[in-house]
Amino acid sequence: MNGLLAFTKKEFREHIYNYKALILLAVFFVFGMISPLLAKMMPEIFSHMSIEGLTITITEPTYIEAYSQFFKNITQMGIIVILLIFSGILSRELTRGTLIIVLAKGLSRHAVILAKYFVALTLWTISYSLAAIINFGYTFYLFGQFYAPNLLFSLFCLWLFGVFILAVVMMTSTLTSGNYAGLLLTAAILGILLTINIFPTIKKFNPVSLASNNIALITNTKSVSELLITIWITLALSSFCLLISLIVFRRKKL
Amino acid sequence: MKEIMEYWPFLLPVIVIQVILAVIALVDLLRHKTYRFGNQFFWIIVVLFVQLIGPILYFTIGKRDS
Repeated sequence: MNGLLAFTKKEFREHIYNYKALILLAVFFVFGMISPLLAKMMPEIFSHMSIEGLTITITEPTYIEAYSQFFKNITQMGIIVILLIFSGILSRELTRGTLIIVLAKGLSRHAVILAKYFVALTLWTISYSLAAIINFGYTFYLFGQFYAPNLLFSLFCLWLFGVFILAVVMMTSTLTSGNYAGLLLTAAILGILLTINIFPTIKKFNPVSLASNNIALITNTKSVSELLITIWITLALSSFCLLISLIVFRRKKL
Repeated sequence: MKEIMEYWPFLLPVIVIQVILAVIALVDLLRHKTYRFGNQFFWIIVVLFVQLIGPILYFTIGKRDS
């Protein structure tokens, strides 16, 4: 237990020293700030673009647009940044060989996976909450309105999608070796999930739905109950990925 | 343009963060001469001219472990 705690602390320190925590916070801070701002400035940006023979009329932006910018930024760029930052979480130490020393000192292999997942989860939660709070404040300041139906639930769905992504990252980094193979495999899995999301019947069971229905939720075109099954499936899949990584890593040759 | 200027107090923190990230990445890449791929010139261009994503790419896939 002591070893687990010490290893978790070491992981946190490492993420601070190699600037990864800083990057994550900075990027999500920027997303939280720029989303309402972009929504507010969109009509002005367009009015300065003079395109021959084309008049663009844009309705006055509302706070819904601020949230849709926010969800768009996080689901696209945010997830890519998460993948880039955490894809090397295990492989980096494996290629460097530093993990062998820790394991030789008696730390269990399960503890390594759990500690790393816990650290990734904590960093994701902190940076995502930061982005959400800043977005919340700015939207209120710029649009004078912040209440959207199901807003917290919608934010929770995207958070849970992040939790799932991190579990997939853990799994792919135990399954593969080398620096980029894990990243590629994660991208491939996400690509498959995005592709099968085309079929309406599967949509309900696909974790991707958690990241694609956020606007529908706050505009009330989708109800909370419709996504409950997706939430349970995502939780199950995340646990499954974590379980696989525990099993595979126990048998992995280092 | 006047309307856009109105928002400069909001844009300023965003610009400051981007500049800080670019500077940290630049200092780091000037101190380390070898990278996982690409040369110093390549990374200087990426860090300085690709907004926000440039420094992230450097720290995640460019920087070699010390």
